[in-house]
Amino acid sequence: MAQKKQVSRVAMSKTSVRTKLIGVVFLAIFCLLVVAPSYANGGIDWLNKKANLGFPRLPDKGFNLGLDLQGGAHLIYQAKIDKIPVGDVVSAVEGVRDVIERRVRGGLGVSEPLVQTTRVGNDYRIIVELPGVTDVNQAIKMIGETPILEFKEQNNEPPRDLTPEEKKTMDTYNAAEQVKANDALKAVRAGMNFGMAVAKYSEDTTSTKTNGGDLGFITSDTFPDLYNWAKTAKVGVVSAIQKSTTTLVIAKKTAERDGEKEVSAAHLLLCYKGADRCDSSVTYTKEQALTKINEIKNEITVANFIEMVKRFSTEPGSFSTGGDLGTFKKGNMVAAFETAVWDAKIGTIVGPVETQFGYHLIYKKGETIPKEYSVARIAFYLKQKTDIVPPTESWVASGLSGKQLQHAEVASDQRTGQVQVSLQFNEEGTKLFSDITTRNVGKQVAIFLDGEPISIPRVNEPITSGSAVISGNFSFTEAKLLSQRLNSGALPVPVELLSQQKVDATLGADSLQKSFKAGLAGLLLVMLFMIIYYRLPGVLSVFSLLIYTVLTLTIFKIVGVTLTLSGIAGFILSIGMAVDANVLVFERLKEELRAHKPLRSATEEAFLRAWPSIRDGHVTTLISSVVLLWFGTGFVQGFAVVLGTGTAVSLFTAVTITRTIMRAVFGRFKDEANVLFLGYTKNSK
Amino acid sequence: MNIPFIKYSKVWYAVSILTSMVALYALFSWGIKLGIDFTGGSLVELSFAKNRPTVEQMDNTLKELKLDVNVIQKSGDDEFIIRTKFLDEDIHQALIKKIRASYEKDGNTVTEKSLQTIGSSVSQQLRQRAVSAIIWVNIAIILYVAYAFRKVSRPIASWKFGTLAIVALAHDILLVMGVFAFLGHFFGVEVETDFVLALLTVLGFSVTDTIVVYDRIRENLIHHSASEFGTMVNVALNETLMRSINTTLTVLLPLAALFFLGGSTIHNFALALLIGMASGAYSSIFIASPLLVTVEKWQRRERK
Repeated sequence: MAQKKQVSRVAMSKTSVRTKLIGVVFLAIFCLLVVAPSYANGGIDWLNKKANLGFPRLPDKGFNLGLDLQGGAHLIYQAKIDKIPVGDVVSAVEGVRDVIERRVRGGLGVSEPLVQTTRVGNDYRIIVELPGVTDVNQAIKMIGETPILEFKEQNNEPPRDLTPEEKKTMDTYNAAEQVKANDALKAVRAGMNFGMAVAKYSEDTTSTKTNGGDLGFITSDTFPDLYNWAKTAKVGVVSAIQKSTTTLVIAKKTAERDGEKEVSAAHLLLCYKGADRCDSSVTYTKEQALTKINEIKNEITVANFIEMVKRFSTEPGSFSTGGDLGTFKKGNMVAAFETAVWDAKIGTIVGPVETQFGYHLIYKKGETIPKEYSVARIAFYLKQKTDIVPPTESWVASGLSGKQLQHAEVASDQRTGQVQVSLQFNEEGTKLFSDITTRNVGKQVAIFLDGEPISIPRVNEPITSGSAVISGNFSFTEAKLLSQRLNSGALPVPVELLSQQKVDATLGADSLQKSFKAGLAGLLLVMLFMIIYYRLPGVLSVFSLLIYTVLTLTIFKIVGVTLTLSGIAGFILSIGMAVDANVLVFERLKEELRAHKPLRSATEEAFLRAWPSIRDGHVTTLISSVVLLWFGTGFVQGFAVVLGTGTAVSLFTAVTITRTIMRAVFGRFKDEANVLFLGYTKNSK
Repeated sequence: MNIPFIKYSKVWYAVSILTSMVALYALFSWGIKLGIDFTGGSLVELSFAKNRPTVEQMDNTLKELKLDVNVIQKSGDDEFIIRTKFLDEDIHQALIKKIRASYEKDGNTVTEKSLQTIGSSVSQQLRQRAVSAIIWVNIAIILYVAYAFRKVSRPIASWKFGTLAIVALAHDILLVMGVFAFLGHFFGVEVETDFVLALLTVLGFSVTDTIVVYDRIRENLIHHSASEFGTMVNVALNETLMRSINTTLTVLLPLAALFFLGGSTIHNFALALLIGMASGAYSSIFIASPLLVTVEKWQRRERK
């Protein structure tokens, strides 16, 4: 009876070992997929391509790397809160945080900044992490500004006329320029070298002045006036003074050459469903379109081209243009079209040509080679009204700014329930606001934040109470954000840069690579040691060590632990920790085998006896990790999280995984063991 | 194999007392050089693409700026490390500009690899946190050891196990700090926050080592209470010797890899851990366990 029970227990434990082993294998596969999804995705892509099954790809997210590994900036600011009433401190600091976040996102284009507030004693600090930012100086400038809130009113002043005095100054100046130009022209006409004249007279400030006034080859686009003159002038000829509103120019034509060939053409387009920019009313399939265009081709001639275009072309607008494309240069048309047009003879119709827009029949009307002219000039700059009178702005400062705002908060309209932002000014602000609103009844005033208008309410009546509301189509969050911004503008919390850390991206990559190498080397050394010293159990511990490694990395990835350089060091350290538990068990196993216990019960005994030491050792390290997590700042916490996670995981892998693998493998050996096990001695009884 | 550890207790004590004295001397006469994490200040790391100037040239360049420069040091093949008093952003920009203007000639380029500036309030906070972390880790570990050995009371009280574990631990910490005081004095090595991390990690590991040996002593106490205490401790030490050596090796191997391959940034961190771990294994065998026997002897003498 007892024997039977014994047998059945062994049989049961065998199946349960098998189940556990399968569990271990699945765990390992899962972790590998999470840690290195790119290999699996490669396979999935291949399968999808071959069998067209459309399996989804695995999420391919990298590890969260700390700034010391990916490069970037870490800034700590102190909010100077001494002038702020105690009750408003938290929201003021939050306001500054939001402003900074907005500035780094919008202004610097950092997509994943981390902006946090922390409190140290009575100090409020704002921590800004900017991954990948290289120009820290600019970032600091942008962040350091205090938010500026301004009230502006509409600029009613029309652009003013010049005062007689200004007009006189301008005219005198321009007259003097004219005299200079006349002198220069005289000198050139009298035989002065043009380059010398440029050096002497020209007011060009760029390199044009130093290279003899040469503008290079000009086209009708770059200098239309000069180009028109140069069309008729001969090479070597010097022009009279050409006057425009801004300049007086004496030009000399120095050379002419052929420009790029231009072609003029028209086309008939038949597009089909799915072609680029094809109108949705078109019902042709690709094959139908091809058949149809070939039919058209047989009928079309130069004489009836426009008529045919009007009848058949699917191009929007072709009815009025007749398919005319005007003149164009190389590079203006898609490649297939261009080749066909350039190769065609003038006055012929070619096609059908296939492009991504459909099938084209092209009528080449002509080609021209425009001239380009090289021109040198002596330039004199004239003054105009706009040089003297500044351009008018649509908003002008009213004198009311964030300094006079006492408080802003979210409110709602009592009748309509609409969300509003209410403002309360101080005494000076109340007076100013009352003046402004009196002046601007029926008009708009604008509220500017950091130079951008954020709200442009209309003034319905003069407001003398010193309170105002900004109503608009706000959602509650928008209104809250606005009031927060206004408060931070109204209660300027200056920030002071306490510390900055910047790591160059190349240095980060270098650190990452080096620590990766070190980790790999460490892992291999430990594995080698275990195999050489403990033989077969050592080999098994290598498996559980590998599972330990991928499992820990999986947890880092899923939880989103930020890996820093010291964190990776902690991880490398925890490899040693993970092995320690195995060493404890194997040493016990050695002792049990030396005492000639049968292999299987020796194994179980070894685990049982080693457990208190394993537990105690892990707990002390966990204690260190937890305390560090509690007291540390950023990167200390990174280390603590990694070390703590590693320790907890190693407790699991060293005991559960190693034991499962050992049970499964040792089941295949005889009870008296053999030389593959350390501690085996020939039984000499 | 039976090594008579306990028999030579006095020799180990002498060795440990001697090293501790030397470490204490180093600590008190030279002190550990604190880095900018704890003192505040700025550390700029520059690399030069072609020609790295000499320390003298750099010194002269910086003198023109009238900065409070503490250290100018070459590092690696093409880098410079400059440590100054706290630089605000404007002065920092002026510094970089000046160096660029002075050395960016003939195709040479200067890259600012990293910059750390730490204000005095931040460094003060880091100092406070480091101290409180060390205190709390110690308290937590003493409590845990006392708890773990709560069932042992004969022939030695559980709190004595805890205290002796801490003595061994203090020895390890002292050694690491002594070595860094020495390195600081002769090689200008400065310690930053990561040094505290290393110390705290050493604390954890050192106590783990001691606990494993004590665990075995505890187990043997329960099973063979007949034999003499000293002999029994010696048996336990021999039984756990290979484990101590192997565990230490498996921790030291990856650390050595980190020390040699991990790059300059992590160098001191790995070194502190290497020393601490090795010392931790040593102290649990040669200090913590012999001390148990010595304490037990004292107790008997008192009773007589």
